[in-house]
Amino acid sequence: MQILTQLVFSGIALGMIYAVIAFGYQLTFATSDTLNFGQGDALMLGALVGLTLVGLGVNYWLMIPLVCLFGAVQGAVVERIGVRPALKIKSEFGWIMSTIALGIIFKNVAENVWGRDDLKFPSPLPESPMKFLGANVLPMEILVIVGAVGMMLAVEVFNRKSIYGKAVVATFNDRDAAKLMGINTGLVITFSYALSSLSAAFAGVLIAPLTLTGATMGAVLGLKAFAVAIIGGLTSGMGIILGGIILGVAETTTGFYLSTGYKDVPGLVLLLIVLAVKPAGLFGKTAIKKV
Amino acid sequence: MKQFLTAVAAAAFALGAQAADPIKIGVAGPFTGGSSSMGVSMRDGVRLAADEINKSGGVLGRQIQLIERDDEAKNERGVQIAQELINKEKVAATVGYINTGVALASQRFYQDAKIPVMNNVATGSAITLQFKDQPENYVFRNAAHDSIQAPMIVEEAVTRRGFKKVAILADSTNYGQLGRADLEAALKLKGITPVAVEKFNIKDVDMTAQLLKAKEAGAEAVLTYGIGPELAQIANGMTKLGWKVPMIGSWTLSMANYIDNAGPGGEGARMPQTFIQEPTTPKRQSFIINYLKTFNPKNSRMDSPVSAAQGYDSIYLLAAAIKQAGSTEGPKIKAALEDLKTPVEGVVTTYNKPFSKTDHEAITANIPVFGEVKGQRVVYAYPEDFKKASEVRVKDVNAKGAMEQKKRQ
Amino acid sequence: MNVKKLVLGAAAIAALAAFPLASGNPYYIHLVETIMIYAIVLFGLDIVVGYTGQVSLGHAGLFGIGAYTAGVLILKLDAPVYVTLPAALAVTAAFGAVLALPALRVTGPYLAMVTLAFGTIVQILINEMTFLTEGPMGITLTKPSLFGHALDETEFYWLVLALLIASLVFVDRVLRSQLGRAFEALRGSPVASDCMGVSVYRYKVYAFVISAALAGLAGSLYAYSEQYISPNTYNFELTVMFLLAVIMGGRKTRTGALLGATIIVLLPKLLDDLQMFRTGAVVLAVIVVASVAVGLKRGKLTKQAAAIPVVGSIALAAVSFKLETMTDWRLSIFGLITLFVVYYLQDGIVGFVRNALNLKTKHERDTTAAKATALTRASGQGQGGNDGELLKANGVLMQFGGLKALNNVDLVVQRGSIHGLIGPNGSGKSTMMNVLTGIYQPTAGSVLFAGTSVTGRTSSDIALSGIARTFQNVQLFGEMTALQNVLVGLHHSFKSNLIDIALHLPRYLREDREQRARAHALLEFVGLESLASEEARNLPYGKQRLLEIARALALDPQLLLLDEPAAGLTAPDIKELLEIIRKIRGAGVTVILIEHHMDVVMSLCDRVSVLDFGQKIAEGLPAEVQANEKVIEAYLGGQAV
Repeated sequence: MQILTQLVFSGIALGMIYAVIAFGYQLTFATSDTLNFGQGDALMLGALVGLTLVGLGVNYWLMIPLVCLFGAVQGAVVERIGVRPALKIKSEFGWIMSTIALGIIFKNVAENVWGRDDLKFPSPLPESPMKFLGANVLPMEILVIVGAVGMMLAVEVFNRKSIYGKAVVATFNDRDAAKLMGINTGLVITFSYALSSLSAAFAGVLIAPLTLTGATMGAVLGLKAFAVAIIGGLTSGMGIILGGIILGVAETTTGFYLSTGYKDVPGLVLLLIVLAVKPAGLFGKTAIKKV
Repeated sequence: MKQFLTAVAAAAFALGAQAADPIKIGVAGPFTGGSSSMGVSMRDGVRLAADEINKSGGVLGRQIQLIERDDEAKNERGVQIAQELINKEKVAATVGYINTGVALASQRFYQDAKIPVMNNVATGSAITLQFKDQPENYVFRNAAHDSIQAPMIVEEAVTRRGFKKVAILADSTNYGQLGRADLEAALKLKGITPVAVEKFNIKDVDMTAQLLKAKEAGAEAVLTYGIGPELAQIANGMTKLGWKVPMIGSWTLSMANYIDNAGPGGEGARMPQTFIQEPTTPKRQSFIINYLKTFNPKNSRMDSPVSAAQGYDSIYLLAAAIKQAGSTEGPKIKAALEDLKTPVEGVVTTYNKPFSKTDHEAITANIPVFGEVKGQRVVYAYPEDFKKASEVRVKDVNAKGAMEQKKRQ
Repeated sequence: MNVKKLVLGAAAIAALAAFPLASGNPYYIHLVETIMIYAIVLFGLDIVVGYTGQVSLGHAGLFGIGAYTAGVLILKLDAPVYVTLPAALAVTAAFGAVLALPALRVTGPYLAMVTLAFGTIVQILINEMTFLTEGPMGITLTKPSLFGHALDETEFYWLVLALLIASLVFVDRVLRSQLGRAFEALRGSPVASDCMGVSVYRYKVYAFVISAALAGLAGSLYAYSEQYISPNTYNFELTVMFLLAVIMGGRKTRTGALLGATIIVLLPKLLDDLQMFRTGAVVLAVIVVASVAVGLKRGKLTKQAAAIPVVGSIALAAVSFKLETMTDWRLSIFGLITLFVVYYLQDGIVGFVRNALNLKTKHERDTTAAKATALTRASGQGQGGNDGELLKANGVLMQFGGLKALNNVDLVVQRGSIHGLIGPNGSGKSTMMNVLTGIYQPTAGSVLFAGTSVTGRTSSDIALSGIARTFQNVQLFGEMTALQNVLVGLHHSFKSNLIDIALHLPRYLREDREQRARAHALLEFVGLESLASEEARNLPYGKQRLLEIARALALDPQLLLLDEPAAGLTAPDIKELLEIIRKIRGAGVTVILIEHHMDVVMSLCDRVSVLDFGQKIAEGLPAEVQANEKVIEAYLGGQAV
């Protein structure tokens, strides 16, 4: 039983990371119907930049806003180079390939700058586990859960209460009409990409102390976060938190009871099933396209 | 078009070439990725040796030219590189292979082409046995194979430190799985069955599941067969679980990326080593000094001392064979290797007739000692070994402690 | 097939066949072999990406399944080559089907992610199922034996070459057949495709399965070629390479696939060999500058568009001289090339060269001589239900959230009549059309067509059962010719299957001839015969609307729905249109006509129904409806004066 509790806790912490990245997918999808296929690499860059800053002596907590800033800039760059030209020529293939290409470039640059080995990220919190309901929980894992939920709440509040939020909804519903209403849809889309990469970078520095940091850490994370985004539904915030928990726990339990090699499988299979059965996600609303 | 460009390139090269044709020696290993600390150290040791030989006139009046290729520890890359080195570069011999899997996948091309391979780091027992049944075997090795290492590990854990309940954690590559089989065989000889046998993949980060199973089974020690990054994760995992038992494993526990990434949790790990970075003989001292001067590693610590030393020795062995054979033809080099008439003074040991027609292993069970991770470096685990280190241990075909080298599944 | 192409092709094949004998070096033979194997994958991938426009990120996984099917069969059963190759093809096609069936229900990024997930799962399973695949330790193979003789490097090369040619011919034949047209149609306009009886979903699945089969065949050849397989190879990077090859070479061309394969195989080798790379980069820069100069001179390129490729290739050459090792930056270079190709080289190198040298894709001048009658089925109708009432819609409710687009609408259309459906904008006319053709499922109510219910069926099913339509916003298959557009409408008449097409069996050849004749007849019916070989997007607007009608008629419908056919037409065009609609009614086809042009409605319709805010407010003879107060009020708003 103790082991199960342990696995559930690790699973929740892991799932929160997926949720934060998935959140990023939601942000860009909401405004532009596009996704950043390099989302995982945004996380990776955030973690590595954070590592460098911490190595230069910057305090972990001070480093976080700096990395967030970096993430925002990186997201804006992706939007400018990869997404905007594709939207202009209305090519879906375009932004899919270009966000993939940008992700590959970022990963390769990271490999050359930080090396191909995985590095250790110093943990801001003590590394010894605490006892919680009979299971070992690392303080860092708790920070991850708190940070992830906090980030999502902050953005949700911002969306609902601020004029930006309304602009986002308007842009999603009808980009051309929103433009005619005076909303700078281009800026809204850039902003959503910046915010999306910001949350990914933030997730990166949250998770880095728990795992090893390296150029390859982003790839599978991005894919699994997409699974969470789909399971939760690309339009529902609550859905991704639940989706994240489901996936995280499924992963840790499969890893233990079946074999660690298979731990990535449940998430991916779940993705396929959800897309086959209810593409809008477990909690999403099915949209009807008008002809 | 391709032919034309090749001709142009060849002409350009010929213009800048030395008076006599250089002797091309292939260097295959992982220079990037998780195994890279071994690969890069090996390559640097090789470069050091080649430089020294070239400075003193080369071999048969010809300079050694190293053709280096990064196999990224990937078996299929190894295959492609082997074909390239043999058919395109036309090397006389190749040194290398860090990863057992890469060696096993690639060697047959050299065997078919009758070009010798000097394995200088890869330790899978099956490597030199791959072509045992053929009349001529072109695969040689100057590293301590796993039929030596596995019993050493078991001896240390079970006999010397008295652990009766041990768990095996091995990676899923050829190296890990073949090594695991060797460990199980060695344990069986002592009448012990491991309480847990777990597997992990390269790039795996979370070892909780495997460690929990070992812990639940009551393991008193963890025996490992893996490489640096994952071994570090095992150490970190143990810290996270609050369960610290000794880690005793194969020589890869000496890798820099294990030591650095495991931090304090990695201290105390023990592993067999053919070479420890201590100036215990004049030859070793000059090797260390030259290496540090030429390559200037961080903290004056070689990333993988064993790889560097064995890499260095492998070139000297080949050079001696080529000199004796008076030619760069594969079969002649092989014949010379199997019957080296003059001893070769290497860093690990002095090689006196290291190979014969049937025995292609230069290292025997009496040569390696135990190393321990202490103070973020590898030191002699046993002070008496350190004291006697100045006596060079030479190959002893009757040395006890090795298992029969078998191709295990 | 024109003679020039045939001669060039034969020369190329001869050169390829002679290569191993000329070179003699196993390394280079192996290299060209790899290019050919990748080309087979790319032929298939081009169908999915180039023709149907779907992004698949899982083809490396399919390639791996092919390789491992062969590997496992050899490892466990010592299977011979004439078993492993077909087995790999079949197994991979099966996996492709299993993946496609759920995956292709979603589009765009969803599909990309699903295929990516699939590719990842395949890699994991191959890695973990060590009892079958030996996992990371891999499987060692040798070259296959044919008739007891072990093939050596050169002989295996010829086997690969033979299969390459076979694949090329197969793909070419499929793409020229009704299957190829269906693939292009579903990309051009999925809605129109469905409504023409070509089920978008089904044909996406076919395309995917065909490409999976090709990938599987290539995979098994790859296993023999490398003589060693391991799970590592079939990863995301390989998939991206395949995609890059397709778009860089050029979509929808076989030459593009071959060129793309060459580039992705040689580029890493080039990067390894710095000397060669530098030479190659300089050569490339020279070629680019030269062709840009030609393009500028011919006025095909603007200075702005020309700058980027020139600057890019010169920068690449410069950088290559500065860096000591390019291999480390290999992936960045691929990424940059991808970005470049996606935005500036959308038609790939083949397309770029064609444009620069002014070679337009020649659509074959169709010389079908045989004649046929345009409208065949219509006259012989009359089955099912009340002979008089062809369409009976009862209490149809279409609700979107809180909005009732159709509110309890009844509609009865008599067989053989022209029934008008009018009303102000937003009254629900097009919504009604969409309900009738299955694009929307009504929230409530029933629709009976010739006695059978329409609700709950797919658009393509409804189309095949006799309801055809045109669209308010013209939904032609723009890149296809007028003739090909109509041929898509005739898709339902093609009964031949994949084997018939691949082997050009008589049944297929006959069908093709007959349907082309019918297509010409249909074009003649609407007066577009002379424009048969024009691309639909190049036709003037009025002609496009007529083409849509011809295409819809190709379905042999009992009921034809025309959505504002006269919109945007000039007066003489409208006269022509009226004639055509009368001819249609004369052939026995019932017509529902949505129109705003009152004179069209008055002169044509037998009966008129009027909708306003989703409700039927009037119905009757045209003159009656015209005078109806409620109708006038709806159009003008406010009291009638």
